[in-house]
Amino acid sequence: MTASTPAPDRRLVVVSAGLSKPSSTRLLADRLGEATVRELQGLGVSAEVETVELRDHAHAVVDTMLTGFPTGELAEVLERLAAADGIVVATPLFTTTYSGLLKSFVDILDKDSLTGTPVLLGATGGTARHSLALEYSLRPLFTYLRADVTTTSVFAATDDWAAAEADAGGGLPARIARAGRELAEKVALRKNSGPADPFAATPDFTALLGGL
Amino acid sequence: MQFGIFTVGDVTTDPTTGRTPDDTERVRSMLTIAKHADEAGLDVFATGEHHNPPFVPSSPTTMLGYLAGVTKNIVLSTSTTLITTNDPVRLAEEYAMLQVISGGRMDLMMGRGNTGPVYPWFGQDIRNGIPLAIENYALLRRLWTEDVVDWEGKFRTPLQGFTSTPRPLDGVPPFVWHGSIRSPEIAEQAAYYGDGFFHNNIFWPISHTKQMVQFYRQRWEHHGHGPADTAIVGLGGQVFLRKDSQKAWDEFRPYFDNAPVYGHGPSMEDFTRETPLTVGSPQQVIDRYAAMREHVGDYQRQLFLMDHAGLPLKTVLEQIDLLAGEVVPVLRKEMEAARPAHVPANPPSHAERVAAARAAGTEGAAHVGGTEDRWTGRTAEDDQQPANAGAAFGL
Repeated sequence: MTASTPAPDRRLVVVSAGLSKPSSTRLLADRLGEATVRELQGLGVSAEVETVELRDHAHAVVDTMLTGFPTGELAEVLERLAAADGIVVATPLFTTTYSGLLKSFVDILDKDSLTGTPVLLGATGGTARHSLALEYSLRPLFTYLRADVTTTSVFAATDDWAAAEADAGGGLPARIARAGRELAEKVALRKNSGPADPFAATPDFTALLGGL
Repeated sequence: MQFGIFTVGDVTTDPTTGRTPDDTERVRSMLTIAKHADEAGLDVFATGEHHNPPFVPSSPTTMLGYLAGVTKNIVLSTSTTLITTNDPVRLAEEYAMLQVISGGRMDLMMGRGNTGPVYPWFGQDIRNGIPLAIENYALLRRLWTEDVVDWEGKFRTPLQGFTSTPRPLDGVPPFVWHGSIRSPEIAEQAAYYGDGFFHNNIFWPISHTKQMVQFYRQRWEHHGHGPADTAIVGLGGQVFLRKDSQKAWDEFRPYFDNAPVYGHGPSMEDFTRETPLTVGSPQQVIDRYAAMREHVGDYQRQLFLMDHAGLPLKTVLEQIDLLAGEVVPVLRKEMEAARPAHVPANPPSHAERVAAARAAGTEGAAHVGGTEDRWTGRTAEDDQQPANAGAAFGL
């Protein structure tokens, strides 16, 4: 028998759209998640992290696009995503923008499922010349979904992984810490009250009839 | 409990032969299928309504009117009649006509349709889908229950002193179902009027169907039609049967893999696990569908999609025989044994509705008289003059 641990105050979902295994995108996603948890702890808020590798759900994502409904593990992932208090999304950059797998995943989300949810964006790419892709492609996507996107997003080029931890200031670890702090502050202030219940929101028929 | 079949009337190439029936052949095959279902002892045949290829059933009441003449027992219905893009005046007339012709052996199911372009083809806007369903149905009901209707609404030209003919059979309109996959507003509409609610079910996980049906049941009770478990519920379903389960899988797989509605997506294994699609022996179908009541409660009508995905007519007729001969008798017995006494076994028949209306004194006039015709053959200018019976014939 183990003593039951109290439920964490907040639940984070970290989504990695990396296609290879191991993946630098997953590495970045994990670090962003860890930084957020650490910053939340500093604020006296405990948090639990669930990591989703979209690669594991790639076939199910396409099936959902064809059938119109998610099934199995993917359906559970979507539910937990909609219930998350904060989300980290990290994607590799392909051909100037986020991966097609990430876009397909976003396309099957209920259009209201991320409304108001704090989201931290991350991306990986070969050179620093891709770094603004986060701002002109990924940020508008999540703004469209009415997510609460943090000011800082984190781009990690190949060179960043080689830079020393000591390279503080503009270095990757410092950027990760700053982004984690921003997400933590938003998450600490807002607990997800769950997705809107479409049945509870349905007006009484006399109102529907009277509205004509 | 009623068991029957519903068709969407798709024209699809048979992937095993490469053969595609033409529209004429497909319409005739639907008639053969309906007659066969009647002879096999199924309770319901329902046809969809579509106005775009590859679907052929654009004119349900023409088809059902013919079938009323050549079948004996089967209830003729729709799946669904488009309440959004059809003129409710035409619907009131056409289905009252079908009711008279079939002697009350019909009901119908309202739906909004799921093909966006159909709306503009008929002068409507898909963004008004729900308001159209609400207003048009409210008018349709008035046309059936009131002999003379003055009406003004948002989507149709006003009516002054309009009488829809023929009047509903015995002064009691047909029983109406409302079909919806994901709009709670439509379940609410069904509950408000005390009409039936049908969930297509076939391409959806049962958890989703269950939520919609539960909501309808709660609202049925809320609107004062009786306890939630007495609400009138119908479900769709989809099966492919052979006595030998493996043979069913082998035979159906090329159809599944290539059909526009399923093909090139999830595997048949995944799809049969996640949706009501059941491929196998009669016993497997019985087990799967007997369990439906555990999800949605005791319900009154189960319809199966049998003629689709390019299956040849011969196969469809064999499917109907297996369904009617080996599945339905057992399922009916099991469902009936589990049903609480206060829950209706079937949706209300015409005879039951007439008896109930007479007991409550709510039936309308069964007929309109027809001695005076002010309108036929007259011009707009003549209309300035007082009506003169018989003037049109120069008498």
